Amino acid sequence: MRGIGLYVHVPFCAARCPYCDFATAPAATALRTRYLDALAAEARREGNALGRPRARTLYVGGGTPSLLEPDEVGVLAAALGAAFDLRPREATLEANPATLDAARLDAWRAAGVTRISLGAQSLDQRGLAALGRTHQVSDVAPAVAAAHARGLAVGIDLIFGWPGQTAADWAADLDAAVALEPEHLSCYPLELEREREEADANWPGGGWPVVVRWRARAQAAAPQEDAVAAMYETAERVLRRAGFRHYEIANWARPGMRAQHNLGYWRNEEWLGLGAGAHSHLGGARSRNPVSLVEYVRRVEAGEGRTPDPAADEASDTAMLALRTDEGLDLARHAQRFGAGAAGSVRAALASLDGTGLVRLRGDRARLSPRGRLLASEVFLRLLPP
Amino acid sequence: MTQARIRNFSVIAHVDHGKTTLSDRILEMTGTVSRREMRDQLLDSMELEREKGITIKARAVRMAWTGRDGQEYELNLIDTPGHVDFNYEVSRSLAACEGALLLVDASQGIEAQTLANAYLAVEQGLEVVPVINKVDLPSIDLDVIREDLRTTLGFKDEEVLLASGKTGLGVADLLHAVVERVPPPAGDAAAPLRAMIFDSHYDAYKGVVAHVRVVDGLLEAGQRILLMATGSSSLLPELGVFAPEAVRRERLEAGEVGYVATGLKAVADCRVGDTMTLADRPAAEPLPGYRPAKSMVFAGFYPTESDAYPELKEALEKLRLNDASLVYEPETSQALGFGFRCGFLGLLHMEIIQERLEREYGVDLIATSPSVEYRVITHGGAEVLVDNPAELPDPGSIEEIREPWMKVTIITPTSYVGPLMDLAQSKRGIQRDMSYVDPTRAMLTYEMPLGEVIVDFYDQLKSRSQGYASLDYEMFEYRAADLVRLDILVAGTIVDALSVIIHRSLTMSVGRVLTQKLRTLIPKQMFDVRIQAAIGGKVVASESVKAKRKDVLAKCYGGDITRKRKLLEKQKEGKKRMKMVGQVEIPQEAFLAVLRIKDEL
Repeated sequence: MRGIGLYVHVPFCAARCPYCDFATAPAATALRTRYLDALAAEARREGNALGRPRARTLYVGGGTPSLLEPDEVGVLAAALGAAFDLRPREATLEANPATLDAARLDAWRAAGVTRISLGAQSLDQRGLAALGRTHQVSDVAPAVAAAHARGLAVGIDLIFGWPGQTAADWAADLDAAVALEPEHLSCYPLELEREREEADANWPGGGWPVVVRWRARAQAAAPQEDAVAAMYETAERVLRRAGFRHYEIANWARPGMRAQHNLGYWRNEEWLGLGAGAHSHLGGARSRNPVSLVEYVRRVEAGEGRTPDPAADEASDTAMLALRTDEGLDLARHAQRFGAGAAGSVRAALASLDGTGLVRLRGDRARLSPRGRLLASEVFLRLLPP
Repeated sequence: MTQARIRNFSVIAHVDHGKTTLSDRILEMTGTVSRREMRDQLLDSMELEREKGITIKARAVRMAWTGRDGQEYELNLIDTPGHVDFNYEVSRSLAACEGALLLVDASQGIEAQTLANAYLAVEQGLEVVPVINKVDLPSIDLDVIREDLRTTLGFKDEEVLLASGKTGLGVADLLHAVVERVPPPAGDAAAPLRAMIFDSHYDAYKGVVAHVRVVDGLLEAGQRILLMATGSSSLLPELGVFAPEAVRRERLEAGEVGYVATGLKAVADCRVGDTMTLADRPAAEPLPGYRPAKSMVFAGFYPTESDAYPELKEALEKLRLNDASLVYEPETSQALGFGFRCGFLGLLHMEIIQERLEREYGVDLIATSPSVEYRVITHGGAEVLVDNPAELPDPGSIEEIREPWMKVTIITPTSYVGPLMDLAQSKRGIQRDMSYVDPTRAMLTYEMPLGEVIVDFYDQLKSRSQGYASLDYEMFEYRAADLVRLDILVAGTIVDALSVIIHRSLTMSVGRVLTQKLRTLIPKQMFDVRIQAAIGGKVVASESVKAKRKDVLAKCYGGDITRKRKLLEKQKEGKKRMKMVGQVEIPQEAFLAVLRIKDEL
């Protein structure tokens, strides 16, 4: 077996970020212990079922996994180590800059983490306020330094297009981030969903109306589409000059520092996701766990498995995901993997974009142009099966 | 029954003046329908009529009534449609009568349409009996209404009856007045048959059923009849009267009113106003006044979903069975796909057809802006009829465009005269007269292009007069005008469904409004989209939609591939519902919104 990507979801957060649409839950939830037990149980069950597979990459995401206590980290690491052949070439921990104290870092380091993905979001205090973040700009540099001091690679996440942000603000954010010398940068435009998210069930007190109001206000005050597009182009320019390679729509890395685990998603390889809201892709089938902690814990305790995700179409998913990266889509390989018909429909779809300059086709390899990255949905929806 | 004891009459009233309620009381009082059987508004049988409170189809009901002289009389109440679009049908209903009750709402007074129909009745020599209705209402001034009737139609106060359809007050007096004032029919029973068709409808079992007034001669079941205008001929399987349900009879005599199952298959073969005679003993001359139904207002009807075209076609076919005045032919629009060009008697007729298509047949449709029929004179001297702006000949070949003008009568409380004159003027109206119906109400007479009347005039009239003004109009003449076709171009392609024929003086302002509105409605595309309003090759207004710069789901980690996919699928569905104009995707709603604002210009 080639091995799988292993994703572990820790949903707990000190506060609810109003723009976030991931599976989150309050850190102080009464379910915390039961959740962590369920996570360990699920790891055991899945590890057994798959014959203790090799985990080539590990990603502990959330939520805010960095707020787990050192002893909780130890228990989780032990459970994972028992269930899987855990010799990852990359093990990433998602971290909030405010939670990364020395004791926790050491605990994670001991658990095998090689890389920190730091949710800085902005290095401008106004940006943090506009995004409803609870950490401070001053938390970021020490967190990066602490990780670097332990030999960990650091990726910094930034969000652009927040309410009130100007082009100059964004350029300053990029400069400040580059100055911290991270190995990796992720830059996302602020995307605000209005449909009620399943994670809302985990937050007591009916927070959804507040979230939606916040999003409506933020949307109204956020820079216009053209300005956001210009910010994206600024990121491309600034980060290229700083020596980063733009290897996926929202991701830049120093040579050799691309996020291996995430590349597994974009190459539509195999991964197992443990924890609430985690998705898996194994043996050509997608499946997922419930986002609700109560439901997740109940299912694990009852010995029930994941829910299949029938909407998937392997060929078109693979094509869309591949086009997100600078590797692009190799049509010859696509034909080998899914048949000439699938490759033919991709070619037809790409041909319908002739003249738009969104896609570049060289030989068998199709890649998004810089403009194509900004208009990727226009490309992808043509790849959907009819 | 001898002709001497027959009375044929109808009721003339403005919409909402209580005609239907009063008719119901009459049916009750004559014992034609018992109170127990009485459904409200018995004569309005279509669902839509009930809801809109408008009588669309005329019906006739036979009733028995004992006069003050102790004799029994046969009364035929012929219902008339209550809207200006059905003027011709009204005139035919009136032609079947010798008298009419003129109903005036005690709280409203005479309205424009009441007056128009009263004039029509007087012109046709009918005995008109004025009735003030709803006298049970509180705080009404009967003297003002009497003055209305005196000034406008010359009625003496003592001729005016008082009634309440609601309470039944005065209804008996009114029936006595019909007996005593309305003359009996005066046809020649020995002459060849002449029966006037004043209404017809399609019955799934009996085929086309005609409502007729026998003027001369005798009509018997089993005879072969001939319709003099259309030339249709058939054997009559059945005839009878409505009382109010159909009752079969062997014969209908001169002066009588009844129904005839014609055995014909389409109402188009059995036109309102046509004269029915016997095939083997035809009348020498038809009855006067026949006129084929003439479409005044035209619009394209398109299914919202293009695959619903067969449903729309079938629904129109079915409607046409019952409505000879609805005409349509297939039409193709680049923007809207396959549909039909439809002709209507007027705007209300169009609205009724549209609603019936949507409600009774479940067809979702887009209607293009209503248009009138223009007469285009080419340099060669030929006359071309154009009811679809897209078909206007090349401007270079046009000598002159003529448009239909209407004579418009407005009755309004004097306080709204100013705003209504402004409105009429903005619609290119030319004032012809202004007089007072009574001290508080004025009558304005205008000449106005129909093309302006059908575009938001009625709604504006109502809103500027807080609902008090009433309107009547009739076709007047065709006049030359400085008209041009204004095209809307999206990325250089004419959007045929949005072309309008308008007066040259309006092109700039209309062009600007349309292009600006479209700019907000056309979503950003992958390239800049120019939106222009142009006359021929000359651009009068221009806007542009800048190319879309960003459309990406940037964050894609973990398993949320499925969710991204769902978002993409939703977006793709949205695209599917768009109409392509050249390379530009335009949402259905954009057409609808622009067609809507065009109605408001």
